[in-house]
Amino acid sequence: MAAILVIEDDDATAAAIIAELERHGHDASRAADGDTGLDLATREAFDAITLDRMLPGLDGLTLVARLRERHITIPVLMLSALSDVDERIAGLRAGGDDYLTKPFDFAEMAMRVEVLLRRREQAEAVVLRGGGIECDLVRRTVKVDGEPTRLLHMEFRLLEFLMRNQGEVMTRRIIFERVWGYYFDPGANLISVHIARLRKKIDRPGRPSPIQTVKGEGYLFEG
Amino acid sequence: MLGAVFVIGLIAMLGVVYVATARDLTARSDRILHATAQRLLQVPADQLPDRIRYELRRDRAGFNYLSLVAADGTLVVGNVRLLHPLPPGHPVDAESRSRGPFRLVALRTREGETLLVGRDISLLRDLRHTILETLTVSGLLTLLCVAAAAIGFSRAPLRRVRALQRASREIAAGDFSVRMPIAGRHDELDQFATTVNATVEEVGRVVAQVKGATDAIAHDLRTPLTRVRATLNALHHRPHDATEVAAGIRQATADLDLVLERFAALLRISELEAGRRRAGFRSVDLGKLVAQVAELYEPLAEDRAITLSLATRSWSVEGDDKLLFEALSNLLDNAIKFGRPGGRVEIALIEDERGDAIEVRDDGPGIPPEERDAVLRRFHRGQGVQEIAGSGLGLSVVVAILHLHGLRLDLSDAQPGLCVRISLPRRE
Repeated sequence: MAAILVIEDDDATAAAIIAELERHGHDASRAADGDTGLDLATREAFDAITLDRMLPGLDGLTLVARLRERHITIPVLMLSALSDVDERIAGLRAGGDDYLTKPFDFAEMAMRVEVLLRRREQAEAVVLRGGGIECDLVRRTVKVDGEPTRLLHMEFRLLEFLMRNQGEVMTRRIIFERVWGYYFDPGANLISVHIARLRKKIDRPGRPSPIQTVKGEGYLFEG
Repeated sequence: MLGAVFVIGLIAMLGVVYVATARDLTARSDRILHATAQRLLQVPADQLPDRIRYELRRDRAGFNYLSLVAADGTLVVGNVRLLHPLPPGHPVDAESRSRGPFRLVALRTREGETLLVGRDISLLRDLRHTILETLTVSGLLTLLCVAAAAIGFSRAPLRRVRALQRASREIAAGDFSVRMPIAGRHDELDQFATTVNATVEEVGRVVAQVKGATDAIAHDLRTPLTRVRATLNALHHRPHDATEVAAGIRQATADLDLVLERFAALLRISELEAGRRRAGFRSVDLGKLVAQVAELYEPLAEDRAITLSLATRSWSVEGDDKLLFEALSNLLDNAIKFGRPGGRVEIALIEDERGDAIEVRDDGPGIPPEERDAVLRRFHRGQGVQEIAGSGLGLSVVVAILHLHGLRLDLSDAQPGLCVRISLPRRE
């Protein structure tokens, strides 16, 4: 369970965000404007923040910049109705860790919060383990059931991303963003064929694949 | 103002002509007077009175005046008498009650007498009057003609300005088919009208495009939104079991996702068309980019049993690598999606007689020539591809990205299949 601060001025959106985060077992608090948000984030210990870009009073960009000035490194997911690529860049440059455009899928919002929380936990991780797979992030080697397996560069990054987010469903869009670094919709099949290739290399007969397909949602690594 | 200057100038010019002519005529007359006087002064003094008589007799027309006046003022001989003394050598105008105007010069003889020589100048006067009249009449005529021409000339441009005003009012009222009239004189008004016409043409094109896009958006967003509304309405009004409700919600969510996807694509297109991202352009190695795109799509091609071949060479352009990657991805995705299963797809950087280009070829059904323009428009989906997923905006995004980079996209027949060519427009 993580403590999450939701800074959002719209009541309905705030309620939906909080409900979704609570559904994922987190404890969510709300601030309805920028100044209250900054105040709460400074005084209390949160694990992550969801931050609306446009707020009454202090706006989202300024708020996150203030937090970073005060060396508060809580991961921030920025939520914005501004979809412009320049806006995304501005949000990330100001100190946001991720950027999601409104209207968004609430499940995806929660998933992105999970990714931020995990990234924080595993920042120092050297070896990821799960499902019989050992992924060495320093030597960039993979062992399946103790047996070295050669992966191509992008296959390794895909596996690393899924393993870092074990137990969480990752949509193809966030996979494409985080693994390949592109912010457009790659289409329905592209990620699935890359996953299929990865599976061919890491699946072993006689046991279920550690990478599960969640129909209509995305992919899930289960250790 | 210009008229006043012209009138003053004209009067001054005619005045100068008149004064110069009159002076010249007087000077000629004076030269004759002097010549006659000099001739008479050569005559010996004792013969002079007889010579004067002879001259006067010979002058039947009575044109000349001649007198010899003694030093004491008595008239020796002649037909003119002085009322006041005259300075010798300087001709003056005089008036005879019976014979009209004449010009007279007085000269001293060696014997101290005064020789008076005069000439009738009524003809000269008449000539001066005639010249004055002619100049006045011609001046007035010139003025009249110039005034008429000025009015005519100023009314023609005024008429053209009125016509331009009329046209601009119609354009302002929203009729972009109206054009400013061009007289064909290549003057400032014509240049102005040509510039305005070009602007109106462009605005008209943009408005038509926006209207077309708006109609398409209205249609393509309305369709899924209407479906969502119908689904929610049905769920609200009729009793359903839990599975039906879940299916309805899934359907509505999927429809809304489609709306959002189209919306996002439209926003991207407008963002691209605003051209703001050019600021971040850097040199992009298209050869490397094409290889990366091919690597990304190779598994997808393999999945459809399509042989994906790649040919690269070096070609760098100024641009945004992420956007160009997206455009190339979209084209390759289409080629694999619409190509023939088990067929071939080729992405190649080539240089031919038309210059550098990237070509994406498939050997699928291709696009009929009459449909090629339409597929580049927003929301258009080719015939018989309705079962393939997509917002129908993909190619519009590609075109917008290429347009931002000053690149053009051409569709042609790959015999069989489609060939998509990205190239720099030819410099004419």
